[in-house]
Amino acid sequence: MSLLSVDFSILWPALVAGLLVSVSHVPLGQQVLARGIVFIDLAIAQVAGLGVIVASSFGLSIEGWGAQAAAGAAALTGALLLTWTERKRPEAQEALIGILFVLASTAQILVLANDPHGGENLKDLLAGQILWVSTEQLVRTGVLTAVFAAVWFRWREQIGRVGFYVLFALVVTASVQLVGVYLVFTTLIVPAVATYRHAANRQLVLGYAVAGASYFLGLAVSVVTDLPSSAVIVWVMAMLALLVHLARRAR
Amino acid sequence: MNRILRLIATLLFLGMALPAHAALRILATTADWGALATELGGDRVNVYTATGALQDVHRVDAKPSLVARARTADLLVSNGAELEIGWLPVLVRESGNPRIQPGQPGFFEATRQVRLIEVPSQLDRAMGDIHPLGNPHVQLDPRNIATIAKALTERLAGLDAGNAAFYRERGAEFQARWSDAIARWAAKAVPLKGIPVVVMHRDQAYLRNWLGLQELAAIEPKPGVPPSAGHLAQLVSKLSGTPPRMILRNAYNDPKPANWLAERVNAPVVLLPFSVGGTPEAKDLFGLFDDTLNRLLAVIQ
Repeated sequence: MSLLSVDFSILWPALVAGLLVSVSHVPLGQQVLARGIVFIDLAIAQVAGLGVIVASSFGLSIEGWGAQAAAGAAALTGALLLTWTERKRPEAQEALIGILFVLASTAQILVLANDPHGGENLKDLLAGQILWVSTEQLVRTGVLTAVFAAVWFRWREQIGRVGFYVLFALVVTASVQLVGVYLVFTTLIVPAVATYRHAANRQLVLGYAVAGASYFLGLAVSVVTDLPSSAVIVWVMAMLALLVHLARRAR
Repeated sequence: MNRILRLIATLLFLGMALPAHAALRILATTADWGALATELGGDRVNVYTATGALQDVHRVDAKPSLVARARTADLLVSNGAELEIGWLPVLVRESGNPRIQPGQPGFFEATRQVRLIEVPSQLDRAMGDIHPLGNPHVQLDPRNIATIAKALTERLAGLDAGNAAFYRERGAEFQARWSDAIARWAAKAVPLKGIPVVVMHRDQAYLRNWLGLQELAAIEPKPGVPPSAGHLAQLVSKLSGTPPRMILRNAYNDPKPANWLAERVNAPVVLLPFSVGGTPEAKDLFGLFDDTLNRLLAVIQ
């Protein structure tokens, strides 16, 4: 289907979702890259998914707030665990994050193996798709992003390590459901890699520019080519990031 | 920038000014229901199919054209019985399209028209991964297709009253050809009765029922959950006593589990289309069953 027949009102929620995710993920990603823990979002997302699956195996509702509470609680537990390991074994933090990812993923398989209502649908419960964003999700994420922005830009010095991990867990649990795990990883890491060699005071603005432009362009390309939007945005962001990264080296 | 905007505006205007297609816009979730809608609607309908035959219909990537079609569709032809539960309810809800909401004439579920098998009599926790509404893969019994086609013809006639006579005539013509085909297939399939087979999941249950195949075991009792070592060991030891004639694998299944078992129990793996488009021969609904039977019969002859 061509550009002509696509109703533009299907694109704006996706664009808003992408921009909201960028607001929190670009600065978080720069921290994550500096700390050398780039796979933390994948681990947290798996832990959140595990929380939902465990809750449902105890017969709790997996729809609506039950799932959100389970996902949030699990993600927070994972975050606190990682805070603790960073203090105890800072030299192995990235490896421990990887191990947490594998453990959470395989624990899902083990729990589902004995869950009569398990199966593939449940596993994808927390995997969002950017084109299917609902208005209610946007409002929720908007509120969360506003809280994030307030905390991050005013009290970042005060929240410390625990605050960072807690904030990260909550933000990622929401964004994974909004745009899916590929876009979460990309929005965190790619702008950070694109900008880390630029002047420190310009990194955040450049990162926002890369992320915002990628969502805009990626959605447009996805409409013209009718390819799945998330994957297109990932590739557009990677290419823009390469340009921004090289632009620094040329000087 | 201004020129680009003007260009886009012009293109959009042209898009709207193009000869308004009077055809009924249909969104079908699977290749089979897309094929049936095309079969019954001919050139009076414009069918968009959400998933290809080799795609897992449980998971669907959101493409702009899919969302666009959901917003403009006059009729949604879905499988139902929770097959598309992972994405369709969200898509329908977020489409904001009042015509295809559940309960509206533009919301059609194929499985609502037929009797489902494997409906759990109660939620038996030991049964494993079961669909509470019954087995949703109804398209593999051609008698179901006939029933669903009848209901879909009436739905088309109701939604597009101006062409009602056309749909009814075309529907009757399809029913005649289809019942001839069923008779032909039934005669051809006689040697398959009672043949012991192993299946991947339970998604071939309707085919098995129709042909009278004897299902010895399923390789993956729970879709999405890898089988345990104990299950596989049990499978091999059980099957070495009563070997199957063949192991059935759907075109969209991962070939590894079936090949693994084939090495151990000395039975050939038969690849079945499962869906229109699953094999090059299964071009339409008639081809789906022709090819399925040819492939099954090739092994026992």
